[in-house]
Amino acid sequence: MAEQKELYLGYTTDKAITPWFQKFLEALDQEKLLKSVCTKCNAEALPPRQYCQKCLSETEFAEFTEREAIMHSYVVVDFAPETLSSKAPYVVAIGEFPSGKRITAHITNLMSQPEVGMSLKLAFDKIDDKHITYKWLV
Amino acid sequence: MVRKVAVVAGGHSKFGKRYDATMRELSAEAYKPIYDEGITQDRIDATVLSYAASQFTGQGAGSALIADYIGLPDKPHLRVESACTTGTASLRAAWGMVAAGLYDVMLVLGVEQMNRVSSATATEYMSRAGDMRWEYPYGISFPAFYALMASRYMYEYNMPHDILAKIAVKSHHYGAQNPKAHLPREVSFEEANNAVPIARPLNLYDCSLITDGAAAVVIAAEERVSEFTDRPMWIRGIGAGASEMKIQDRTTLTSISGAKSAAKAAYKMAGLGPEDMNMAEVHDCFTIAELIAYEDLGFAEPGKGREIVENKENYHTGRIPVNCDGGLKSKGHPLGATGVSMTYEIMKQMRGEAENASRQIKDVQYGLAHNVGQSGQFVNIFIFERGW
Repeated sequence: MAEQKELYLGYTTDKAITPWFQKFLEALDQEKLLKSVCTKCNAEALPPRQYCQKCLSETEFAEFTEREAIMHSYVVVDFAPETLSSKAPYVVAIGEFPSGKRITAHITNLMSQPEVGMSLKLAFDKIDDKHITYKWLV
Repeated sequence: MVRKVAVVAGGHSKFGKRYDATMRELSAEAYKPIYDEGITQDRIDATVLSYAASQFTGQGAGSALIADYIGLPDKPHLRVESACTTGTASLRAAWGMVAAGLYDVMLVLGVEQMNRVSSATATEYMSRAGDMRWEYPYGISFPAFYALMASRYMYEYNMPHDILAKIAVKSHHYGAQNPKAHLPREVSFEEANNAVPIARPLNLYDCSLITDGAAAVVIAAEERVSEFTDRPMWIRGIGAGASEMKIQDRTTLTSISGAKSAAKAAYKMAGLGPEDMNMAEVHDCFTIAELIAYEDLGFAEPGKGREIVENKENYHTGRIPVNCDGGLKSKGHPLGATGVSMTYEIMKQMRGEAENASRQIKDVQYGLAHNVGQSGQFVNIFIFERGW
């Protein structure tokens, strides 16, 4: 059995791992980002939800294929929570896709001041053997 | 039949890095002035004794510990938790019990002991109030959530950081005159505008403090009020609201929808509007939060909050004095105590008992407390009325 993967930092996400979330992580390890689609009302969610927020029915995973986004907002974290302090400073951005869906993740290749409205591209990363993530590139 | 309820007494510990005290001593310090006024334990029917985060102390069943320590071991008590709104949530819960007739007289005490862990650990604990599955892994600290609002606000309204620095200058100006404040010193505009970055665009002086402290108030049903005071502060309006858990799911980052709906409900219950308020205690966990509060509470149109700052309308002689006790920024922000501290401050201002005339607001008839939890997931707004 493959080693358990965790989302990025993984410090406490292990507490959030369930068989459902495991599927999300396995897809992420294959550089696929999954959204959820409600089996009853077709409501979509990104990041996905196991149960629909609207009607609480079960959902199914579907691949989310949009990659280009616009920066909705950002923060440069200088003073980080203890478990990420070795990585500071880092840039966190909320990116908005043309569909209106959003993802919050780090921008890892920004060499200048972040600016709301700048173009972002969704990418994937294996931080180390254990930790995987989606991220933004400019 | 809902009974009218008034705040009849209050007490407040010194806020600060209180290595000389734990949650229990801080609580005693807040209750002592109330006791000294003659509201002894036997006159209190029940209590709400709250703190936001047990991980700071490791103490479980803390409300029992506090109740016992301050001499109320045999009175019914409970703890209410809703992040930084814990204080006003406790007051709301107690108001409901008194208004409904379950009890006549209740003590509401909020406390937090935060400095027995390092700032990095405190930042860690508070970041866990973000979504642990989708936000926490990306290291979004508590300041970072508000920085996400700030960068969007500054973009949409083309606002420079200067405005936020001016809010910090005002907070410290008043904190310097409040003997209970955690950081009672003035800061210059240059100092506030150019401080070390914490979560850009927010710097050190945009951020509230990690504070130990406690505050307490006693509330009573209308028919019992005169036994305690001839200067009651009536609870005239209460509004509560909520916003989406993940900040990326918010329709807007330039406003807190839960605060707007809470304000609407509180004004409606009070039969009053923003123009009637003589002062406000707002939840300035970050300077951007104070600016957004001006707009969410109706003191300014969206995007125009900066005019209140530029015209100094938020000073104690201005149109709408805000946080003339130093606010969370300078007085400090012991999470569970904050909302109770706001209530205490409004009562003090109404009674004309500010320690220094230089922070005393004149003729306060109506005061508003705006208490926000996390980044808007919880909001409580109270409107108080002078009853004499």
